[in-house]
Amino acid sequence: MIAKRYQNELIVLIAFVLMLGSYLYKNVQISSQSQTSAKASSSVSELKEVIALQKIWSDKKTTKKVNKLQTIIPENKVKWSSKNKKVTASYKGLSSSELNNLVTKILNLPVEIQKLKIQKLASSYDVEFKCKW
Amino acid sequence: MNFMGNTKELVLAYPSMKQVTLSKSVNVMLPPQFYTLKKEALPLRYAYQAKKIAPSLFDGLLEEGKHYDYMVWREGEQWVFLAYNMEMITEFLKSKGFNLESVAKIFFVQQAVTKFDTPLLLGESEALVSLDDTVAVVPGKALAGEEATLAFDNSFMPKKGVVLQGAYGSVVSMKQALTLAAIFMLFALMFFVEGWRYNSNTQADEAKMQELLEAYPSLQSRYTRESIVNKYKTIDSSERKKRDMIKALSGMIFKGVTLTSLEMNEKKYSAQFSCKDEKVVKRVKALAEKKQLKAIAAAGSNDVKIEGVL
Repeated sequence: MIAKRYQNELIVLIAFVLMLGSYLYKNVQISSQSQTSAKASSSVSELKEVIALQKIWSDKKTTKKVNKLQTIIPENKVKWSSKNKKVTASYKGLSSSELNNLVTKILNLPVEIQKLKIQKLASSYDVEFKCKW
Repeated sequence: MNFMGNTKELVLAYPSMKQVTLSKSVNVMLPPQFYTLKKEALPLRYAYQAKKIAPSLFDGLLEEGKHYDYMVWREGEQWVFLAYNMEMITEFLKSKGFNLESVAKIFFVQQAVTKFDTPLLLGESEALVSLDDTVAVVPGKALAGEEATLAFDNSFMPKKGVVLQGAYGSVVSMKQALTLAAIFMLFALMFFVEGWRYNSNTQADEAKMQELLEAYPSLQSRYTRESIVNKYKTIDSSERKKRDMIKALSGMIFKGVTLTSLEMNEKKYSAQFSCKDEKVVKRVKALAEKKQLKAIAAAGSNDVKIEGVL
C-alpha cells in the first residue's frame, strides 16, 4: 500500500540512486585510472631506463669496438694488453690529430675509464689508457 | 479466464450507496454522475489524436476552474470521449469510506455498456440502463413493470482503467516523476559511459606495461630491474662525469693554448695548459671559472693548472 501510494516518489528515487551509483562508479574509475596511470607510467619509464642502461653498458659489441682503438693508430706507436674485458693501452708519439681521433673514440665507447693520461713531449703526445667493461 | 492476473474485486460505487469498509485492494466502477460523455464520428485514426482534441470537444460542457482528465476509445465508427474530474471522484470515494490506497483502478460504466442489456439497480431508487448505447441513470419508478435482474460482478470489468496514482499522497505526479526519472537515467547513462571509458584507459595502460614486459621477459622481476638500475646507474653517472669533464677541458684549448698534460682516474683529474701570454692566461682562467673549475696560474710562467675530484 505504501509502495503504491508513493510509487511516483519511488520511481524518482530509484532513478536518482541509479544516477548516484553511476556517478560514484565514474569517480572511482577516474581515481583508479589516475593512480594506475601514474603507476604504469612510472613503471614504464623505469623499465625504459633499465632497458636503455642495459643497452648501453651491457653491449655485446663493446669488445669489438674497444679493439678498434688498437688499429686506428699505427701499430708501431701502440702497446696493447687486453684480458677479461679489461684493456691497458699505451700510445707513444701521437700527433695532434691522432690524439684527437683517439680521445674522441675513447669518449664514445661504453667503457669505464680507469685511467687516461696524456703527456705532451715536444711536439708529440704520449697516452696511457686503462679501461674495463 | 483472467490471463492478466487481475483478480481484484470490482465494486460499483454510486452516491446513494452505503459506507464501505475495505480490507483488500479493489477496482471501482463509477456511474454517469462522475463523468461527462460525448460521442463523435471523427476522421481520426489513433486514440492519442482523439485525446489531443478532447478538451476542445467539451468546451462549455464542463465546470470552469476544475481540472478534467479524458478517456477516449472507439466504438464502431464513433469515438467516445469521456471527461472526468479526479478530484471530485477521490472526494466521493473518501466520503464513502474508500481508502484511496486500496483503490487499484477506476472504471466507468460507459466502458461496459454492452453488458447493460437489462437495467442494473443502484440502491432502491435508481437504476442504470443503456439508452442508445449510452449508460444512463434513471429513477427506479421508471422501471415499473420491468424486472431489473442484472447482477453486477467482475465480468463488467473493462480492459482499460484509470490508476489513481498521483491523485493522492504523492508530491509529484506520474508525468513529473517520469520526466525526472528520465533525466536522472540520462545522467546515469552518461556517467556510466564515462566511467566505462576511464576503465578502458586503465586497461590500456596495463596492456602497454605488459607488452613491454613480454618483450623483455628477463626484466619481469622488480628485484632484477632494481639491481640492474643500481649497477648501471652508478657506472653511467660516473662515466658521464668523466666524459663531460674531458669535453669541458678540451673546450679550453684555443689559439695560444696548448695542453701539456692531462691525467684522469676514477676519482680525480688534473690538466695543465701552457698559454702564450698573460692575456690568454686570464681568458683560460675566466673560462674555467665559467665552468666552475678551479684554475691555478703557476707563478713565473704562463701555465695554468686545473684540477679537481670527480
